[in-house]
Amino acid sequence: MEKIIEVMNLTKKYKDLKAIDHLSFDVYKGEILGLLGPNGSGKSTTINCILSLLKFNEGNITIFGKEMTPDSYETKSKIGVVFQEVAVLEELTVYENIDYFCGLYIKDKTARKNYVNEAIHLVGLEDFKKFKPKQLSGGLLRRLNIACGVAHKPSLIFLDEPTVAVDPQSRNNILDGIKTLRDQGATIVYTTHYMEEVEILCDRIIIIDKGNIIAQGTKQELKDLTGIEEKVTVEIDNLEPNKIEDIKKLDNVKEVNYNNNTLLITYKNGKSNFGNLLHYLNKENLVYNKIYSERPTLNDVFLELTGKELRD
Amino acid sequence: MTVFKYFFKVLNSYKFFIILTTVLLVGFGCFSLKTNDTTTNFVANEPTSIIINEDGDNDITKNLCEYIKKNSTIKEINTDEDSINDAIFYRQVSYAIYIPNNYGEDFLKGSNPEIKIKATGDSNSAYMKMLLERYIKIVNIYQQEGLSESEIIQNANRDLEKNIEVEMTSKINANSLSQSTFFYNFANYSLLAGCVFIVAMVLSSFRNRYIRKRTIVSSTKYTSFNKSLFLANAIFALALWAIYVIISILLVKDVMLSLYGILYMINSFVFTICCLSIAFLIGNVISNKDGINGIVNVLALGSSFLCGAFVPVEFLPSSVLTIAHILPSYWYIQNNQFISTLETINFHTLKPYLVNLTVIVLFIIGFIVLTNIITKHKRKEN
Amino acid sequence: MFFHNFKYTLKSLFKNKSLIFWAYAFPIILCTFFNLAFSNIENSEKLNIIDIGIVENKYFQEDTVIKETFTKLSDKNNKDQLFNITYTSLEEVASLLNNDKITGYLILTEDSNKVVIKNNGINETILKYVTEEIFQTKELITNLATNTIKEEIQNGNYPIDYEKIYQGVFDIIQNQEVKINDISNKNLSYTMIEYYTLIAMSCLYGALLAFTAINRTLANMSHTGKRVSASPVKKWKLILSSLLASYVVQLIGITLLLLYTIFVIHVDYGTQILPIISLILLGSAAGLSLGVVISTAFKISENSKTGIVIGFTMLGVFLSGMMGITMKYIIDVNIPIVNILNPANMITDGFYALYYYTNTDRYFFNIISLAIFSFIMIIISSFLLRRQKYDSI
Repeated sequence: MEKIIEVMNLTKKYKDLKAIDHLSFDVYKGEILGLLGPNGSGKSTTINCILSLLKFNEGNITIFGKEMTPDSYETKSKIGVVFQEVAVLEELTVYENIDYFCGLYIKDKTARKNYVNEAIHLVGLEDFKKFKPKQLSGGLLRRLNIACGVAHKPSLIFLDEPTVAVDPQSRNNILDGIKTLRDQGATIVYTTHYMEEVEILCDRIIIIDKGNIIAQGTKQELKDLTGIEEKVTVEIDNLEPNKIEDIKKLDNVKEVNYNNNTLLITYKNGKSNFGNLLHYLNKENLVYNKIYSERPTLNDVFLELTGKELRD
Repeated sequence: MTVFKYFFKVLNSYKFFIILTTVLLVGFGCFSLKTNDTTTNFVANEPTSIIINEDGDNDITKNLCEYIKKNSTIKEINTDEDSINDAIFYRQVSYAIYIPNNYGEDFLKGSNPEIKIKATGDSNSAYMKMLLERYIKIVNIYQQEGLSESEIIQNANRDLEKNIEVEMTSKINANSLSQSTFFYNFANYSLLAGCVFIVAMVLSSFRNRYIRKRTIVSSTKYTSFNKSLFLANAIFALALWAIYVIISILLVKDVMLSLYGILYMINSFVFTICCLSIAFLIGNVISNKDGINGIVNVLALGSSFLCGAFVPVEFLPSSVLTIAHILPSYWYIQNNQFISTLETINFHTLKPYLVNLTVIVLFIIGFIVLTNIITKHKRKEN
Repeated sequence: MFFHNFKYTLKSLFKNKSLIFWAYAFPIILCTFFNLAFSNIENSEKLNIIDIGIVENKYFQEDTVIKETFTKLSDKNNKDQLFNITYTSLEEVASLLNNDKITGYLILTEDSNKVVIKNNGINETILKYVTEEIFQTKELITNLATNTIKEEIQNGNYPIDYEKIYQGVFDIIQNQEVKINDISNKNLSYTMIEYYTLIAMSCLYGALLAFTAINRTLANMSHTGKRVSASPVKKWKLILSSLLASYVVQLIGITLLLLYTIFVIHVDYGTQILPIISLILLGSAAGLSLGVVISTAFKISENSKTGIVIGFTMLGVFLSGMMGITMKYIIDVNIPIVNILNPANMITDGFYALYYYTNTDRYFFNIISLAIFSFIMIIISSFLLRRQKYDSI
């Protein structure tokens, strides 16, 4: 597969603090790469280094096979960036903002008009063309922010936490838009600390913590890392300790926790785990209020690898 | 108590601004104190002048210089033309007198030599011109009478020394009173720019916060919240007023610790309340901070310029003062002016003072009513 | 790309209400206030006709010299009219004085003559002085006449024509020619300085426009700056076009202010158009370059930058005389270096030189100072602007 970005040994220090520590990864053509990590893990710093906005202490970055520098105008013209913070001009309308930023890439006026209108359509801001940023809600503002970054149809797009503090409707709109961009052939680097988004969206995921890559791969590959296949939660009152010991002895059970009348069982790979448990509970005539099974999430992966939760 | 806490947090972020307006007040207050003369006797004005003596050291010229020195204040400046021109332009010197080369000799010869002068053209320079003309006339007459140099000087000086008796009727210490008036007039700006700005800013940021949280704040809580908000603002305004009063006591003790002082205090107290009501109006009507900043600046500067806080009232054109009637500052400053001319204090003489106070109170009521109407209207719209 | 950024920077600056208020409206509003407050001040300081009273009693009626002199001094047809006199009873003049209707009054009694006033002041001083002069002149006439009469008697020239002698003496005094030649420059209106400081303020407020425009293109200063820096546009193109846009916005504002001061306020800038335009162009450039330095040298919030610009400008115009022209004089004379370094003063002083000075040295000194100031600012900022990658953003 064609490598669009190659990051080698990237290291960035702020005084004594290592924000990025010998980070290496590749981004392949046509994929959505998710950079997942808690706040402050170095995701934005990585993007800023790749874009040559930030100085870094060590490492090599190539984009489209060429080394990236502030003067790589050829490369820059093929990149679109959506930063974490809303970066628009307060005094200009929605249309003017998109036109302004798009105009930094596309010179031809008539061609630009089409680009701008397509971007507006992509994020669903048709009814707000004449609005000023101040008049937009948080979600609409985020959509404008994205439109400004991608209107010129770049082949490589960086999206840095584009859905922070966004209502569900706008979030769905944004995620659909990103998929559309990928379907149109763009390569996308997507950072977030929302694992759900990564699960829905990303082809490949890199989990970052404290400037280090702690895991990477597809969703399934990462989940396999934990060795957990299934989690079952049972709300059950006054479970006796010997019963817990019994459950531990069931097939594939990795761990059993009983707290506040809630029983949590994690399973290794295996078949009919849930069925076996139900069978046991019925056999022992244990009355439970609720029982449900879950697949492991990336949070579990993160928890497994770092010992802490991903959410802040 | 959280309201108070938040209030002081907001206040803290504007502390620089409050300090600035207070420093300006103190600065200008001290500036006005530089003339420290407290007599109640007549003192003639002394214009400032400089002498550029291009003549030698003869008696005639010397006497002229002596005469000028006696009747005016000689300013010590460089005597190059640019320095003289600047000093005249900036009114540091009313009159520059160029005594020409050979003046003494030419004068004794009877050729009535010409004296060049530069003048500002104001009253002081006109007075200086009178002084100089009289001197020249008198010495010329004695010269034409054929007297000797020493006789001319002797006769002229004798004639010029004759004084007329002057009686001054006002026994009040106009100087201290005018200083206090100057201070309290300037406080008009400090109160409007400082107090109104801060209170309006606090109110508007509270209002924005409240509107966001409207759904979670119950109506009873809102009332008490409003009460403590009002209280916090009132305490702030009164504290500011108290600080200004204390500063004025430190600056002009003799006036501020007399009946006059109480009049100044009452007047400024009522005006502080008025500022508070203006701030409530602005803070409730305008929600964006840039807007408040602009309006308060224009209001404070406008009121101060138009009503006589910066430029003495007597220098303002009457048309401007007529327009100024619509501003509360006008009545406040008129009262300060009135106090400084008050000879005796009793109920009868205080009538104009009380009328002015009443007008300010009417303004306060007006602003409160207006604020209520507008906020009600706004609530309906919401 | 240059024009594209120029166009949108222009558009966004014009639509920034708060910027336009401070750069356009505020100087004009302040100018209006100045005009309302100062329009009368210089006239008030001139010597105007003074209202006085004279107690009309028999001593006054009998003293023809005094009476006639005062009549002459209060003659409305006399171009040197000094007094407006009310002749009335003592009670009446006392009440007029008490109500501030007159500056003071003169009362002649058998043994003494007295001027009664209420407070100290220049008009009071002049009243006292002129009265003194009249009495002195009267005495001078008597002395001179007595001398002449003595001479006549000694010379045995009988009969002595007293009338003629007095008239002769009187004529001598009246016809004394006093040769005083006023060589002062006629452009002496010091309130002009106030308006010049306003122009200076307006020029320096251009810094607000400049840093707002520049901030948007710098990755380490704003979010839009990051976005713009990631685009394939050369940095110098962005910065120059943004600066040009803010310069245009600024110059339009100053032109409006200038036209307002000329046609509405009637401010006198002298007669030399080209030097005035050069001064404004350079003054604005100084403000602009100051803004660039502020935007690149300090990594602080935009509000704090606004604070710095307004604080710097206000301090500058304060030192150049906006809050009282005496301040400018004091600095000029005592610590000239402060005002040589102060761009607000260079602009103010440039206008002052054009208005008041006949030679152009002072004007060119200011022009050159402004050019050096702008040049230094540009050097500093271009050094800071060369960075394309930042240690932190």
